[in-house]
Amino acid sequence: MEMLQQLAGIVVPVFICIGLGILWAKVGTPFDARLITSLVYNVGAPCLILATFQKVDIAPAVLGEIALATAACYAAFTVIGIALLKALRLDLPSYLPSLIFPLTGSMGMPVCYFAFGDEGLALAIVYFTFGAIGTFTIGAAIAEGSISFRKIARAPVIYAVIAVLVLKATGLRLPEWAFNTANLLGGMVIPAQLVALGVSLLVLRPGGMARSAALGVFRLAMGAGVGFAVAAAFGLDGAARAVVVLQSAMPVAVSSYLFAQQFRRKPEEVAGMVVVSTAVSCVTLPLLLLAVL
Amino acid sequence: MILKILSVVAPVFVCAAIGFAWGRTGRPFDTRMVGALALNLGMPCLAFSTLTSLNVSPAAFATMAGAYALALGCFLVVGLTVIAVLKLPAHTYLPVFTSSNTGNMGLPLCLFAFGPEGLALGICIFVMSSIFSFTVGWSIYAGRLAADVLYNNPLIYAVALALAFMITGLQPPVWLANTTKLVGGLAIPLMIISLGVAMANMRAQGAVTIIAISVVKLLAGFAVGYALAELIGLEGAARGALIIECSMPVAVHNYMFAQRFARDPSATASMVLISTAISLATLPLLMIVVL
Repeated sequence: MEMLQQLAGIVVPVFICIGLGILWAKVGTPFDARLITSLVYNVGAPCLILATFQKVDIAPAVLGEIALATAACYAAFTVIGIALLKALRLDLPSYLPSLIFPLTGSMGMPVCYFAFGDEGLALAIVYFTFGAIGTFTIGAAIAEGSISFRKIARAPVIYAVIAVLVLKATGLRLPEWAFNTANLLGGMVIPAQLVALGVSLLVLRPGGMARSAALGVFRLAMGAGVGFAVAAAFGLDGAARAVVVLQSAMPVAVSSYLFAQQFRRKPEEVAGMVVVSTAVSCVTLPLLLLAVL
Repeated sequence: MILKILSVVAPVFVCAAIGFAWGRTGRPFDTRMVGALALNLGMPCLAFSTLTSLNVSPAAFATMAGAYALALGCFLVVGLTVIAVLKLPAHTYLPVFTSSNTGNMGLPLCLFAFGPEGLALGICIFVMSSIFSFTVGWSIYAGRLAADVLYNNPLIYAVALALAFMITGLQPPVWLANTTKLVGGLAIPLMIISLGVAMANMRAQGAVTIIAISVVKLLAGFAVGYALAELIGLEGAARGALIIECSMPVAVHNYMFAQRFARDPSATASMVLISTAISLATLPLLMIVVL
């Protein structure tokens, strides 16, 4: 019973927020997704990173370990993804980013936060940051055919990460006024992203359902498998192990759809993968939590 | 002391400045959408989450809401007097005295001055202020009695539910507590950023009457809050929250209402802008009084 309550406390907020977004779009209330995304990426996310790392004291060694584990997970996703798509004779630029990149931001961060508090959130942010750098460089590069370092240099998240590293290295802390401001602004990131996710799920036009459903489910299974394997290989335990597994097993990232749409790489099928993998994770996420808690 | 004051006012300044810069650089900002997100989703969740998680007693809730109701009575008297002296129309100038920025500016100040307890006390006041604005304030602008805006406001239902938990002493289930805490995080940052954007998009006309009304509203608000806190015998966070909330400038939604009912929106915009600017400049003084 207690376990069930704990599970509900982690999973229900995430799905209610997505549901609120779906409801918002269903009612026909306008939702400016560009504005919300811009507020989140330019203002909210850097603040969330600064505030969270002030709240928790995680040893730099642990952070380094998670960063390496994340890189290992992404390498595994890439290799497995390429192997599968080659075997099925499917087009790499259309399907590979969806197989590689999990929804670590809007879904992974709240799940890890409610499961392990601020420590879980901090570890999830490390995984997310690598994912974000990857999505906007490698992911865009696969879909677009070229890599862009200017995009990374313009992402405010990068500067927040650098600031955190400098603060950790020097042992300095943010002054109270800066922490209060960052904490306040950071608070909007997760709910805004989840509501935006709900809105975008409703406006997606999924197509080619059989194949995209199979690939979406494959992403969830591969993510969980790779997550457990990498966590075991790195000898992680507790929150660190759980965060690597949970983040790896998140559904297909919505950003993959945005790229697919921008570069005309079968957006309908990518949309199908996003919708199916998110829906299936309603069932698989509680099971996965049971396994790692 | 200076650092403490800075830690209270800086978040408000920085968020408002982000909104102001956003508006001034001409980036698109859908104020209605952000307002709906902050007020229809964020605020009800923040109110529910704060009131239930801090075990605010129904008596404390009634004291703060009641004290602010008394303050609203005083604001009406002040407003009617000023309007009679200056021979101004009540439908445009009376709500300026009674509807203040108790949410977007008052709540973060209460939060950072007195922690979560201050936020909870500020929310009790904000609820009273919202009910008044959406019934009496709205009716004054509309020129007829109207309360439908109140029924359409999810805040009322969230507070009713929170009161049920507070009175029975029950704890909300973990999933509900977590959900409302998460969504509540939207309310304050989005509200202050919107305030900044609104300020960037409004134009002030510096007529003497308008400046005088803005100054009188702010001074009367502070005096009423200070006197009531003494009379009721409030202390600490309760005293601070009441004085802060009573001293807040003219509410931005007055401008929206004035636009909707064609009640001289440009004069209202000027009063919003001028009173907010003066209030921001004098916030450190206010903090010295309450801290």
